[in-house]
Amino acid sequence: MSFMDALKAQRHNVRDFGMYIAFVVIVVFFTIATDGLFLTSRNIGNLVNATSYIAVLAVGMTLVIVIRHIDLSVGYFAGTLGAVAAISLKYWGLPVVPTWLIVLALGIVGGLLTGFLVAQMRIPAFVATLAGWLFYQGLLQWVTRGTGTIVIDNEVFNALGNGFIPDIPGLTFLPEVHKVTLLLGLLAIVVFVISEVTNRRKTQSYNFEVLPMNMFILKLAFISFVIAGVTWIFAGYQGLSWAAVILIFVVLIYSYITSKTVVGRHIYAVGGNPESAQLNGISVKKITFLVFGSMGLLTAVSGILYSSWLRSATTIAGRGMELDAIAAAFVGGAAVAGGVGKVTGSILGALVMASLTNGMNLMGADISVQYMVRAFVLAGAVIFDVATRKSTS
Amino acid sequence: MVNPMTETTPVVEMRNIKKSFAAVQALKGVDLVLHHGEVLGLVGDNAAGKSTLMKVLSGAYIPDEGEILIEGENVHLTDPLHARRLGIEMVYQDLALANNLDITANVFLGREAISVQLGPLRVMDSRRMELESQRLLERLKIDIPSVRQLVERLSGGQRQAVAIARATAFDSRVIIMDEPTAALSVAAISKVLDLVRELKAQGASIIIISHRLEDIYSVSDRLMVMRQGRKVRDAPITDSIDDFRERVVAYMIGARDDFAGATAS
Repeated sequence: MSFMDALKAQRHNVRDFGMYIAFVVIVVFFTIATDGLFLTSRNIGNLVNATSYIAVLAVGMTLVIVIRHIDLSVGYFAGTLGAVAAISLKYWGLPVVPTWLIVLALGIVGGLLTGFLVAQMRIPAFVATLAGWLFYQGLLQWVTRGTGTIVIDNEVFNALGNGFIPDIPGLTFLPEVHKVTLLLGLLAIVVFVISEVTNRRKTQSYNFEVLPMNMFILKLAFISFVIAGVTWIFAGYQGLSWAAVILIFVVLIYSYITSKTVVGRHIYAVGGNPESAQLNGISVKKITFLVFGSMGLLTAVSGILYSSWLRSATTIAGRGMELDAIAAAFVGGAAVAGGVGKVTGSILGALVMASLTNGMNLMGADISVQYMVRAFVLAGAVIFDVATRKSTS
Repeated sequence: MVNPMTETTPVVEMRNIKKSFAAVQALKGVDLVLHHGEVLGLVGDNAAGKSTLMKVLSGAYIPDEGEILIEGENVHLTDPLHARRLGIEMVYQDLALANNLDITANVFLGREAISVQLGPLRVMDSRRMELESQRLLERLKIDIPSVRQLVERLSGGQRQAVAIARATAFDSRVIIMDEPTAALSVAAISKVLDLVRELKAQGASIIIISHRLEDIYSVSDRLMVMRQGRKVRDAPITDSIDDFRERVVAYMIGARDDFAGATAS
């Protein structure tokens, strides 16, 4: 297979490529438009911290959308869980770790409750979670009504949303650069290259088709270059933030589960054809519970990230976050009809939307313009999606 | 060809199956025998009860009366999964494939090969599944370039072939095909029929439901005709196609009946 044939064979991936290209275009545009301010380490660090809690929600939302449902309750639910964390730290006097565990457990319980309404009671997810949206909005106001905004002064808790991973003290070379971040970036590249090479060897040993060598090297070089570039940017300010670390963990774990495990396969099967899944012995009900349970868990993570980022729990925390997460999932390639949507796509979708806000803020664009531009990007992404699906099928 | 007369234990035997839906008696005591390596054609007008009978055999419906024997053993099928575990595979008319997944994923749906178990997570052995699906397609002479193709990108005939291949993938004893040639082009139909012949040559026992009598004629050893919830004809196919068609239609519309008065309903 020649290089061009290999490229042509990848044509069905045009949707994925298109999104990466769009993201690069946005980054380049804002970097030029802001005289490089956009791509500074400090701005990118802030951008990632301010996106992490949406991106984490978007990961859970993607799976919910894949199984043909929606979850409108997660914004205020995240806000409520953030308030629980604040109350636990401030009024119950619990340490950070038990607080995290309580919030995560409550998140799972809340998610399973939604799952119960949808899978067991057969209430359409839109209605069930609209009820959740109302309920959690009320619950949040109820738990904060005596106190108003609860300020969190626990440094360890707040570090999650604002802090950075520690650096090795005493090193004098590259004084302006975060060494641990560089090392982690290097490690990531090494692990990536080794796993790709062994994967290719194994695939070849089965006599399956692999990318031609030149394409393969190009792919390795390109992705390594991207990891290196991102690492360098992060290392230029205070290093990798804890929020970024958590986000990376969530993405790695969820990507692995959705693409490599049986349960991941079954989630997509249920989304693609629930009747067929059921006939093949997959319990649609179980998968629905599982996906909403995971949504609840990630909502808790999001709530923790958000409240620690704000260093407080407010009475309207989480408002609209569910819609940002849904938009991120759709920009990232999820399909309303179900069965389609990747975790990595949604993260990219969240980054695209956040970059637009951030970049336009730096340019001093009016908030009204910002909303409209984001509307065009959302609609454009879905139009592109529909068009590429048609042309390749 | 297997001579049914010399065989002692049929692979499937259904005796006096009755099934009612509210006031409608869909099956009024139907007997069915399928021998090893045999292709049984099952025809009848709409509402004759053939699909209901097959749903009973595939575990989707539980009969009100009657018994089912698999390899001579009495079984009480509780659901499609149970039937499947006993080796009864149904290829549904609407295919029951997941369009968003590739061929391999569909072939192995619900029966994924596992490489390692990480706590509650079962990690799939993707390469093994790919390899086995590729071998399966080759064995059945199904012409699809890659098992990594998404099912939504396949033609109707290819999708039907994948659905049939899936039914044969796991040591099935009986394959039931419900209208496998409906909604296909002429070329695709002949490919699907070739596939049925290939399966038969490899020893599969098949029940095939079809409205297309010429398809039944070209692949079946024996024909069973149903009418109004009863069996009205059960005999090997020996006629020429024209005689066959005329005769079958006579049974389908009730002009002839080999079992008149034989069943009490």
